[in-house]
Amino acid sequence: MNISEIMTTTVSTITSDKSVSFAAEKMNAYSTDALVVVDHGELMGVVTSRQLRSTHPNRIVADAMNVLPIRISPEDDVWETHALLQEHDDELLLVMNEEELVGVVTREDVQLKVAEFIDPLTGLYRAPYIQYMGEKLLRKGKPFHMLFIDVNDFGKINKRYGHPFGDDVIRMFSAALSEWQSNGDTYLCRYAGDEFVLITTASDEWVKECMETIDKPTPINDVMVSAAVGHLDGFREPDFFDKPLREHIARASLLSTKAKMNKESMQL
Amino acid sequence: MIGESNAITRKATLTLNISEFDVPPMQDMLIVGRKAPIGPEAVRRMAEALSPEQFTLIKMEHPKIEAVLLRSSLLQMIDEKLLMSIILEEAERMISESMVLRSELKIAMSVKREVDLL
Repeated sequence: MNISEIMTTTVSTITSDKSVSFAAEKMNAYSTDALVVVDHGELMGVVTSRQLRSTHPNRIVADAMNVLPIRISPEDDVWETHALLQEHDDELLLVMNEEELVGVVTREDVQLKVAEFIDPLTGLYRAPYIQYMGEKLLRKGKPFHMLFIDVNDFGKINKRYGHPFGDDVIRMFSAALSEWQSNGDTYLCRYAGDEFVLITTASDEWVKECMETIDKPTPINDVMVSAAVGHLDGFREPDFFDKPLREHIARASLLSTKAKMNKESMQL
Repeated sequence: MIGESNAITRKATLTLNISEFDVPPMQDMLIVGRKAPIGPEAVRRMAEALSPEQFTLIKMEHPKIEAVLLRSSLLQMIDEKLLMSIILEEAERMISESMVLRSELKIAMSVKREVDLL
């Protein structure tokens, strides 16, 4: 999902020499919370209603505006933009095609779009997110590791302890998994019911450590929960970039089934 | 009913005080409070319009003071850090966030030398 799909191309502007009270009136008139500041065709910054509220009405816009607003490209994706917004408090982002302003996108626009792809139970992204991220890496020719993670005996847990408990298991398991996506090169989603997909460009050592941790049975509300992991190594897989992501996910899921069967036969 | 003898008259008195406009009107220095009606950029633009290239704006992290506009020649006479520390020490005693203070600042050098007689 690209920024170009959610951006607004009609941009309300103001010059930096106008007063803050004039800017507030203009925002009201245009029903907007932010204005782009442009002087003689040159982009100067962005002023938001929040900035106006904390500035004396007699001041000029130049003394209230943010002179270094975040600039993004129409090709940037909403998920990366969302991550960027977590680190900044900007309300309005400028969408630039090189040096040309082509639109704007608000924090709210990004949050609403991202919310469409969030799984309500776990707070993780849903399958379309990993599909997008995986395809993007394939397009760029960047190899990655894919882990298909399948909670063992989840059906039995539901039958034995009830579905609300099963939901707790999924929630807590997801929270543990999400700790592995903090390094910025790792993407995680709840793929379906009790299945998760993690894509990472991190090192082999990192992947090994991650798999060993996931593989270990963990107590969740006094019940030992474990998962089978199917690992597809895009750094060593032949013809990795010639195949669609769908095929990689299918292969990783089969590898997780195989891992599960191996474990069961070892237990027997 | 108002009769002719009770007619109302309205008069205005006009007082005119004319004096010379000081250019620039801000003397040597302006100290801008964080919530002052004029911000640092407006002050800089005003100074630039009235006295081009003669003033320097110094923004700062201070609880009450947002910036100081200073005659540039003063910065050539005395180190900026030293000058700012003196200005802030004195100004923060009387400034509030909503004020703009103006100040005259003159630097005079006094030298006393001893030399050996021939």
